[in-house]
Formats: sequence, C-alpha cells, structure tokens
Amino acid sequence: MAEGARTKARSKTGANDDIGEATRLALWRSQFLIREAEKRAYDLFLQNLVKGTSHLSLGQEAIAAGFATAQRKDDWTFATYRGHAHTLARGAPIEGVLGELMGRDCGLMHGKGGSMHLTSAANNMMGSYAIVGAHLPIAMGAAWSAQYRGTDQVSVCFFGDGTTNIGAFHEALNMAAVWKLPVIFVCENNLYMEYTPIGQVTAVPNPAADRASAYGLDSIIVDGNDADAVFRIARDAVARARRGEGPSLIEAKTYRHSGHSRADPGKYRPDSEVKEWLARDPIPFYRKRLADFGIAEGKMRAIEDEIRAAVDAATETCKASPTPSLDLIERDVWADGGAKWRN
Amino acid sequence: MAELTYRDAVAAGIAQEMERDERVVFLGEDVAGAGGVFKSTVGLLEKFGPRRVKDTPISEQAILGAAMGAAMTGLRPIAEIMFSDFLAVCWDMVANEIAKTRYMSAGQLACPLVIRTANGAGSRFGAQHSQSVENWAMSVPGLKVVAPSTPADAKGLLAAAVRDPDPVVVFEHKSLYPVKGEVPDGEHVDKLGTARILRQGGDCTIIALALMVPRALEAAAKLEAEHGIKATVVDVRSLVPLDTQTILTEVSRTGRLFTVEENPRLCGWGAEIASIAAEECFYDLDAPILRITTPHVPLPSADALEDATIPSVSRIVETISRNMG
Amino acid sequence: MAALDIVMPQLGETVTEGTVTAWHKKVGDRVARDETLFDVATDKVDTEVPAPAEGVITAILVEAGATVPVGTKLAIIDASSGAQSQSVSGSTPLPNPPPQGGREVRKSMEGSPLPLRERDRERGSRHQDSKGRPLSPAVRKLAKERGIDPGKMDGTGAGGRVTRKDLEERAPTAPAAGDERIPFSRIRKLTAEHMVRSKATSPHVLQAVEAEFHRVDRARAAHGEAWREREGFTLTYLPFVARAACLAIADFPRINASVDGDTLVVHRAIHLGIAVDLGLDGLVVPVIRDAAAKSAPALARAIHDLAARARKNQLGADDYAGGTYTISNSGSFGTLITAPIINQPQVAVLSTDGVKKKPVVVEGSDGDTIAIRPVGIIAQSFDHRAIDGAYSAAFLRRVKEIVETRDWIADFAQQE
Repeated sequence: MAEGARTKARSKTGANDDIGEATRLALWRSQFLIREAEKRAYDLFLQNLVKGTSHLSLGQEAIAAGFATAQRKDDWTFATYRGHAHTLARGAPIEGVLGELMGRDCGLMHGKGGSMHLTSAANNMMGSYAIVGAHLPIAMGAAWSAQYRGTDQVSVCFFGDGTTNIGAFHEALNMAAVWKLPVIFVCENNLYMEYTPIGQVTAVPNPAADRASAYGLDSIIVDGNDADAVFRIARDAVARARRGEGPSLIEAKTYRHSGHSRADPGKYRPDSEVKEWLARDPIPFYRKRLADFGIAEGKMRAIEDEIRAAVDAATETCKASPTPSLDLIERDVWADGGAKWRN
Repeated sequence: MAELTYRDAVAAGIAQEMERDERVVFLGEDVAGAGGVFKSTVGLLEKFGPRRVKDTPISEQAILGAAMGAAMTGLRPIAEIMFSDFLAVCWDMVANEIAKTRYMSAGQLACPLVIRTANGAGSRFGAQHSQSVENWAMSVPGLKVVAPSTPADAKGLLAAAVRDPDPVVVFEHKSLYPVKGEVPDGEHVDKLGTARILRQGGDCTIIALALMVPRALEAAAKLEAEHGIKATVVDVRSLVPLDTQTILTEVSRTGRLFTVEENPRLCGWGAEIASIAAEECFYDLDAPILRITTPHVPLPSADALEDATIPSVSRIVETISRNMG
Repeated sequence: MAALDIVMPQLGETVTEGTVTAWHKKVGDRVARDETLFDVATDKVDTEVPAPAEGVITAILVEAGATVPVGTKLAIIDASSGAQSQSVSGSTPLPNPPPQGGREVRKSMEGSPLPLRERDRERGSRHQDSKGRPLSPAVRKLAKERGIDPGKMDGTGAGGRVTRKDLEERAPTAPAAGDERIPFSRIRKLTAEHMVRSKATSPHVLQAVEAEFHRVDRARAAHGEAWREREGFTLTYLPFVARAACLAIADFPRINASVDGDTLVVHRAIHLGIAVDLGLDGLVVPVIRDAAAKSAPALARAIHDLAARARKNQLGADDYAGGTYTISNSGSFGTLITAPIINQPQVAVLSTDGVKKKPVVVEGSDGDTIAIRPVGIIAQSFDHRAIDGAYSAAFLRRVKEIVETRDWIADFAQQE
C-alpha cells in the first residue's frame, strides 16, 4: 500500500527538507495562480463574459500544482474538461486561458476549442478532453512514443472518479501495463461523478486505487489537498516511469468547492460534507504550512500580489481582445490550414 | 510491374513506408504474429520486429487512442481495426478525438495517422462483419477517406495516406484481398483526392467504389455488348478529398449519372455526389440521377441473400439498360 | 413451340385483377428465359414477371397502366428460335451470382426504379414538350439556346422524347436542298467552345494604333534575301511585331497576365502564343517559351518552326500549354483591322493586319511633307476586368514606338 498520508508540519524552520523552500514556493505560486484565475473565471461568468460551460478546479489546486511541479518541461500533461488548473500549472498564459473561456481571439485556441479543450502544446499541455475517458488511451499513446523513440519523457493523465467506470479507462490501463509504458494515471477523486456520489455507482470503495491490482499495479492513495504529499507521490511515480518501470495509477482524494460545472449549484451534496472539506481547503492549508516553515510573510505576499496583478492584467487584455475572425471557421481542419474536401 | 494480390499489396505498402520512415509503426489485433486475420500483414513482424509491429489486446479504443497519442508526439502510426464494423466500438476516437483535435486546438496538435480496416460484404459473415461504412467516415469533418479497388491502388493509396499529415481512413475491401493485379515495381505512392476514369463511353457515366468498381466495369462491358450502351466508368477512389472535377466532367459529358454503392441506401456516399451533380451539372443532365445501392437493411448472412442484396453485375446492367430512355 | 401467350398471373388466392405497370420489352425485342418481361401491381403485391421462355415478342396486347382481370392475354412470344438463354459469365473471381427469377420485389428496392417516362407521368411532370414528352434540364437549356421546339422533332429517347444528343446532333435550321453539312472537327469544336467561353468571361475592349513599318521594311530589304536563302522562308512583319510586343511588355508587365478569380496574376516570363491558322480546319495557338529572351531573328525562326509543325500536326500538349500573351496575325490577307478574341485566361491579345504603302505626313523642322510609308494597324483586345484603357493604350503606343524606331537592321545583322 501507499506512501502518502497527509504530511504534518514538523518544525517551524524545516522548510528545507526533501522538498525544499524553492519548490514549495513554486507549489504555492502554482496553487495560488490557479485559485485566483478560477475565481476570476467565475466572476466573469457572473458578468456574462464567460460563455458556454466551464468546469472549475476550485478546491483541487494542489493536485495540478503538485504534479506540474514534479514534471519536466518535456513531459506531457493530458486533462479532462476540468482542465484550466492543469493548463495554467504547465505555464500557459493566463489571458490565453481566460480568453478562451470568453471566446476571444487572445484565447489559447482563438476560441476554436473552448473551456473543455484547453491546449497549450508549447508547454506540452496536450489537450483537455471532453469525452470521459477518451484521453487515457491517448496519454498512453504519447508514452508509447517516448518509449519508442528512446526519450525518457513521461505522460501524465488527469481524470475524475467517474472515469474509472468507463471502458477506455480499462483499455488504457491494461495496455499501459502490458507494454510497460511511462504514463501516470492520476484520478482526482472529488467524490462525485457529476451529480451522483461515486460510491453509489462503483463496485469498490476507492474507484481508482482499488482497480490498480487488476492491472498489476500498486494501489496508491494520496491526500489530494496537500500539495507536498501530491508532489512526493508525483516525483516518485515520474522517476519510476522515467527509469522504465512502467505506469502508475494514483488516486488523489479531494473535493470541488463549486458544482460540477458552472451551471450546477451543487445542492446535491450534504452541507456537513461540504463544510468538512472547505475546512481542508488546500490554499489556506498550504499558506499556513509555509508560515510554519518560517517562510516570510512578505515573500508569500509578494507572490500573491504579483499573481493578483497578473490575473487583473490578463482580464483587461481579454476584455480588450476582439472576437475571433470569422475566417477561422474554415481553418485548421487539415494540416494545410484549410478545410477543403473537394476540388 | 509485378502481379500481386490485393492483400500482398497492402503488406508491401506498409513495408515500403516502414522502411522509408523510422517513425512509422503498426499496431492492431493479430497483425504481427499471425500476419493478420485476412493475412494482409504477413511478414511485417519478421521484417521490422516487435518494437515496430505490435499485437494489441482486443481494445479498439486503446488501439486508436495509442495511435493518436503517438501521432501527436512524433510518430506516424498505422492502426488496424480488424473489421470496419468495429469502428463503431471506437467511434469516439475516430470522430470526436482524431478528427477534431487539430481544429479544436487551432493547429497546435496534429494526428498524422492511418486507420486501415477491412470493409464490405461477400464473406457471409453476417450483418456485424460485412458492412460498408465508408460513408460514416466521409460524413465526419477532419477525416480523409479512401477505398482502393485494385492491388496497385491498395499499395499506392496506403502509402499516400501514411505520408499525408492528416488522419486518413483506408477502407480495404475484404472480398478484394485475393484479387490479383499489376503493381508497379519499386516505390509506389499514389495521390489522395484523385478519381480514375477506367473506361470511356458517351452514353452514361457510372461512378463506383471498391468492390463495386470491377462490377461496374463488367456491367459496362455487358451494356455495350448486349445493349449497345457505351458507359464511362469512374473509380471514385477517394471520398475525402473528393475529385469532384473529374466526376462532374464525365457527368457533363454524358448527361447521365449512375452510382453503384455497396453502402446501405440512406446517406450513402453516392447521395452526396448525386447532390453535387444535381447542383453543378443540372443543365447537362438528360435524365434523373440514379443510385444503385444496397437497400436500407442490415446485411443478411446466407450466401443467396447476401449476393442478392448488394449490387450485382446483373442488377447494374438491368437498372442502367432500363433507364436510358 | 411457336406462339406463347403471356397472361395476367394470379398473384394471390383472392387476387382477381392486376395492373401492368411497365413493360420491359417492346414488340420485336428478344427476351431470354427468366428475363424480366413486365412489372405488375396487385392489391397484394408488386412484382416483376419473367418470361417463361426465350423468344421474340411479337405482340403486346395490353398497354402499361391498364388493369385487367387475371388470365387476360397480355402479350405473345414467338419461342421458335433455339438459342440458349443467357447465363451470367462466371469468369470473374468475385462473388457475383445471377439474381433469382420471379422473386418478389418490394417497390423500395433501390436500383430498380421505373423507367423515366413512367415516373414523370406518375408525378405529372411540369416539363413536357407539346407532345407531352418529358424535357430534361439539358434539353430545355439547349432548346432555348438554339431556338428549337422539341415538340416539332422526333426524339430517340424513351417514348420518342427528344434527348440531349438529339439536339446536339441536329442542324440549327431545316436544311435546304444543296446544303452541305460539315460536322465540326475536334479542333473546331474546341476552338468554338473556347471562343464562346472567352467572350462570356472577359469584357473585350478593342484599341488600335497605326504604325509605320519603314524601318522594319529597311531591315527586311537589307537582310531579307540572305535570310530566305539561309533559313528557307520569308521574313514577314510578324517577328518584328512580336519582338516589339515582348519589349513593350517589359515596360507594361500587366499586359502579360492572367485572371484567377479576383486576382491578377502577372507572369514573370513571357510565353508567347502565336495563332496559327490550320487552313479552314481551325485555329491553334502554339507557345514560344521565354520569348522575352529571344531576339527578333530567334523569334522569326521559332514562329516559323511552330507554325510548320502545327500544320503537320507534330506538336504536343506541352507546345500549347502555359501561354501568357498571344499574337494573332491576319496580315498576309491584307485586312485593315481585326478585333481578336482573348486566349483565356490571358488578359489581352494582339492583332497585326495588313501593311500597305500609304501617304503619311512627316513633320520636319522645315515644315510638314508627305511621304509614302508602309503603314499597318496593330490592335489589341484587352480584358477590361483586369486592365483599363489608359494602360492598354500606353502599351500599344510603346509597341508602335518600338516598331517605328528600333534599329531592326542591327538586330538582324547579329545573325542570332
């Protein structure tokens, strides 16, 4: 069984342990950025500037931050439609993310994909995928490519608890295990498959970790709200994959603060449950840990101010950005940039 | 020139491309050790080894997902889906993921991969192993679609598909696998988006695909010998991109268009071409456009039933000869 | 076995009558055993009825559309010939057995629709000629274009309808005695098509200049004989005009261009088309590639060579492809002026006509005098989508200037 119970703060000056202050600040920066950007996305929705649907990662920041910080620049990330956090964590520009949600030209995909398909290939964020489970085999394929070409790149794939019951999950896990591919499957178990408690529709209590043995893999569970814990698990899994030891399946326990999507007020969750998880909000939790480690308030404040300013600046950029040109409609169906199907 | 069977031409095409480009890899069910259930990939494992030629579990979604992930990250995979009917099992990958990812990512991601699959009837395998589903693929934006009718085309179009930077679905016809034909020696690469005029005659234009091509040719010979009707026969070869100009030129020339389609009636590939011809050749049409298709039913299994369901040479001859008025 | 009666079958226990919906054969046709003879509809089933034996149809007694009682004689077959019934060739390796005779055919079976005439009659087609025969889109268009009334013709289509082919092969007017009908040769047809399309595509504007050819004539006088001896043909005005045009294009490059949709494609190289008359057999326009690099003597040789080979049908597709500008020359016939038709997709075409001695005014420092000079009109038709009159006129003025002032003697002295 696993490594990874919640790490308790050990000493007030112990920041430089196996993780170290620099990495911790990076983890903080990443989580805080995600939190601020997602809050802004929600505000923009209330102002009717964010269109369509959006699946926010409020409450799940530690997982995205923990893994992204453990990944190398040339490792790949694949996410679900709840992918804003992962896209930001891999370094995509804030205005690219918010702009895409707002359907503006400055969006990462110029409004072609929308919230559910955020992609930043330059940062090796290889797409957010709206069909549940679809990207698991795709992430596995990227890992195959790394293995084939002899690079030691690693593919990291994020999905929800609901995904563990769809066919593609099982096909991907099996093939990854059989071919011993460098892919890490990370289940962000926020206890709800859309509006239904995951326990009501899954044959086992831990929807991902309890399936691992079916694929010859270790069962790994981690507190998804503790970025340090996530980072350690991620670092180890990535190192294993890089050494050619094959795939991992990790279940990170977490909770989302808002509904499944913007349209969902989340009233199907019991108040006591919501209250308990809000008390374990990863953001104040991590800030307190940094403080306990003796990291100066000023240092953290500087990062936070910088991020708030960046989110504000990005918001203004997006508001000023035009809607995408109509000729984008018939662009990029094919590699030649066009959409011609006949002569 | 060498005479090869269609199945050997397929294997030769894959081998040609794998030799040329280290990035080309091949995966599918029973494709490596067994040489393919239709024996269309014999010898590839021996030649290129298990790193490049891979047997997969029965996992269509994983096969295509793996191909897509690999294509997005530097490889040029060829994935086999054993029977084209099974595309339904992984249709999300085909239609939602592979076809749309370049567009949704505004060109950041690419899927230069080939899906090759055995299509069509004639083997008495029943409704779930005999379909012609090229029209399914044609109807999804973002997929290129070819269906070769000869061994030379099987090799040449497959090679062209591998070299194309977009996703291409190659519909091989399982009843054509044993057919022999001349295949050019050496490197043979055809061109997607090109139809071929196989026979020229001024009385009517017959367009056909895959197995229906040799039937159309045989019907044309009979139409001339027995009815004095001289037909042009066009092998459409490529549904997307579509060589509309060649087809429309031949329709305008004769004023009469017949399609011969193995797919079931509704929304068959010929319906689209009939629509284009009605729009762009309207004033050259001397008679209504007629589609000769399989009726809109699942395919029956018994040999007598199957043969009477998909268009036969005699049905083609009969229909055309009775509609030249 | 001789006369065989074909009767209305009973296609169900309670069926008392049937309707012949279509005949698949007519009187005089041969029918094979089991080949479909007619379609019948009853209130129980619609079906195709095959011939019971091989033979020739000698009579059809009940017309399509008629409803008759079961047992009514519908047709007679003369089955006395002994030929074998047809069988489907088995020489193909593909699975393709013949269909079963007499099987029940649902009306929706695709690929077995009623013949054209029947369907249109069913739906009461709006498009019919005065004899009630259907008019296809192609026929309607051709009839309108040619001012022909299809109702006044006998057609070769089903039920006597006029087909597209009937109209295409028909003379535009009723032939009078002594008229000779000359079908268009392939080249004539292609030329005709191109000319119509060109006029329909480009708004043609004609401009002309009158040029004095005295310096040209002096060169021809100085070098003409030696040229003829050496090269074997006469030096005409055409190479001079061609050279002048190429030189003028350097100053007015948009003359050497093509239209592509909304775009003017200005070509860097000049591939000069020379219209060659094939003596009543039509017009072809072989192309001199990279004409700008050729001197006047080289152009003269190229023109002669292309024309000769064109007349002997020795040119291939490559010799006709890729032209960017064209010159048409009627000069040998002494015409005054020609308004040529643009060679698509180019934007202009030059015409040179007869050169003849005329009195012209020569301005001198001591006043004007009259001189006798060889004078000819150089005209250009241009596509007003692509260029305007001022540009074309300036180009023509430059051509004239070159023709009138260039040192042509020097050009030919170099023996290139």
